[in-house]
Amino acid sequence: MFPSFRLAMTWVHTWFGLVLGFVLMAAFFFGALSVFDREIDRWTIPASRFEAQPMPSFDRILRPAFETMQPSREGLDFIRDKVDGPLPERFDVPKTWGAYTTHRDPVLGLFAGFEVPNAREHDVVAFGSRTIDPRTGVALPDDQLKVGSQFFYPMHYSLTLNWMSLGYWMVGLAALVMLVALVSGVVMHRKIFREFFTFRPKKSTQRSALDLHNLTGVVALPFHFFFAFTGLVIFAGIYFPIGHSQLEPLHDLHEIVEASETGLPHDKAGIAAPLASVDAMVAEAQRRWASRGMGGEVGFLGLTHVGDANGFVSVFRAGTDRIALTGEGIHFRASTGEVLREDPPTTAVGSVAEFLTGLHLQHFRHWLLRWLYVLGGLAGCVCIATGFLFFVEKRKRQHARQGSQGARVVDALAVTTVTGMVLATLGILIANRLLPETLASGWPPRGDLEKYLFWATWFVAMLHAGWRSAPVARGGANPAWREQCLAIAVGAGAAVVLNWLTTGDHLFHTLAIGYWPVAGFDLTLLVTAALALVAARRLGRQGDARVRVGGSDRSRMTHA
Amino acid sequence: MLELIWLVLALALNLAGMGWLAQAMDVHWSQVRPGAEPASAATVRALRWLGGGALFASFILCLAADHASMAVLVWVMALAGAALITALSLAWRPTLLKVLAPWPAVSATSA
Repeated sequence: MFPSFRLAMTWVHTWFGLVLGFVLMAAFFFGALSVFDREIDRWTIPASRFEAQPMPSFDRILRPAFETMQPSREGLDFIRDKVDGPLPERFDVPKTWGAYTTHRDPVLGLFAGFEVPNAREHDVVAFGSRTIDPRTGVALPDDQLKVGSQFFYPMHYSLTLNWMSLGYWMVGLAALVMLVALVSGVVMHRKIFREFFTFRPKKSTQRSALDLHNLTGVVALPFHFFFAFTGLVIFAGIYFPIGHSQLEPLHDLHEIVEASETGLPHDKAGIAAPLASVDAMVAEAQRRWASRGMGGEVGFLGLTHVGDANGFVSVFRAGTDRIALTGEGIHFRASTGEVLREDPPTTAVGSVAEFLTGLHLQHFRHWLLRWLYVLGGLAGCVCIATGFLFFVEKRKRQHARQGSQGARVVDALAVTTVTGMVLATLGILIANRLLPETLASGWPPRGDLEKYLFWATWFVAMLHAGWRSAPVARGGANPAWREQCLAIAVGAGAAVVLNWLTTGDHLFHTLAIGYWPVAGFDLTLLVTAALALVAARRLGRQGDARVRVGGSDRSRMTHA
Repeated sequence: MLELIWLVLALALNLAGMGWLAQAMDVHWSQVRPGAEPASAATVRALRWLGGGALFASFILCLAADHASMAVLVWVMALAGAALITALSLAWRPTLLKVLAPWPAVSATSA
């Protein structure tokens, strides 16, 4: 079919890269944003702009908060078709409680799972979540969307397309294709070392786009490879769903065997039991970690079989000082506080898996490495964007001669996924600052409105890209690139100003008090605005040059 | 505080190392010194050793600053950043890299 292996690889790289490049672009861009998801949360929820807090006292703060929780709207929607008959008004029997925090969280996320009467299967649980101020236990309003951790982060791994888990599968396929593209790209690239540092911005757009594609692909190759690969490892359970399909009986049996091995009860005893002081259990866990020479902040605190004689409390360490997601869990009998089990050191294979997932999920405390990850993610974005540009530049003149619309369509989609995606991101940030704190009744929840405005901005960017794309079909450039760059500059600047006007936290203030989550994000927005302006100016100059060249061509033709 | 110093030094050495390795290549050598003679074989060898040595030293500094599992990642990512900065400098401000090898180059015309 192909005369050589290299040409076969070129075909694979070009076409698979093109089709899934659009998904990959979103995965890389929102992945890069997710590195600072907690900081973006602070920017979008001004009430949470205070210093990160450790896990608060369970007995004084968490327990009263858990005891008043109920399943959330999403939690109820999820189980509605898994139950015979109508859902009850109230859920009174909690199954699990959990609180999770990191070294970057001022507010604390809680979740509670409730037993569902009349459920068709034994493992149906109604989940509710709540965010509290850990200093007081006061809950934040339910409809506040944590734009970083609850929107940009899910965009990164599922595009927020939850129907049939479609988004997970699309991103997974894109990651697989990413691995293929890396291998085929290395095969195609004849001069990987000779052109390692090569970028020639003054050559033709096609040449400089390819240079930049190779540069950003090769220098960050380990990053690209390991993030695509570990992303697949993290969701292996979704991509190989055997535990809940063919092998479900085996999976269930394994749970029971594992419970008998660990001594952590698999089922309820059915006998009510009081809860001993969890604070004392946390203190004991911290004592045990300290004796092993490890830092002792609690990352995750969970209760299983709440209020039952078989109930147990699990305390996990926050893994800020290493890459591997370990946790060194220590488990206590809930009714007495006696230690049931201390998780043993992991096996060699387990350690590798924890390192791989940990390097992707980033629980560590290391600001330099976080920024380097952002750099890697953005390098990936540049790599994919220049891939699109190269595709279009290589074909557009030929397509213009043939009267084909191919290059035009790809270029418009590229505008949509490159500058359009940045605009959509700015759209949700601006919406977040402009929408009133409380909306009139009859309106959708504030967080939902923010999401709608995100998609609306993106859709408008797509229409604009398509509407302005006609010159590409004649072998020219789409002016939408420049116009959307200008829009990004305006939007990013506006977001910074709006943050100042609506919260009073202008940069001089946040920098002076050293509140980096907001100061850093504002600065990033300003840098984005500046880069977009530079890009727009350069594109403008290129456009002018092309008009001049085109004009002289035409005059020559009329003279001839 | 000491960790911070190690990391800053590691980044600096990483950048210098990439700059030296780039200048060990003919194309980039003459980009940095327009109109100069190509580097002698001895200079190229010296630049390669300097570059490789700096990258290695950078790795040791990363290990001094952090747990080994973290140091590996910091180093690999810093390599990517340093290579990018080097490539972009070569594209827009190539003569900046001359600070890494400031000895006077033999000009092609005077030789």
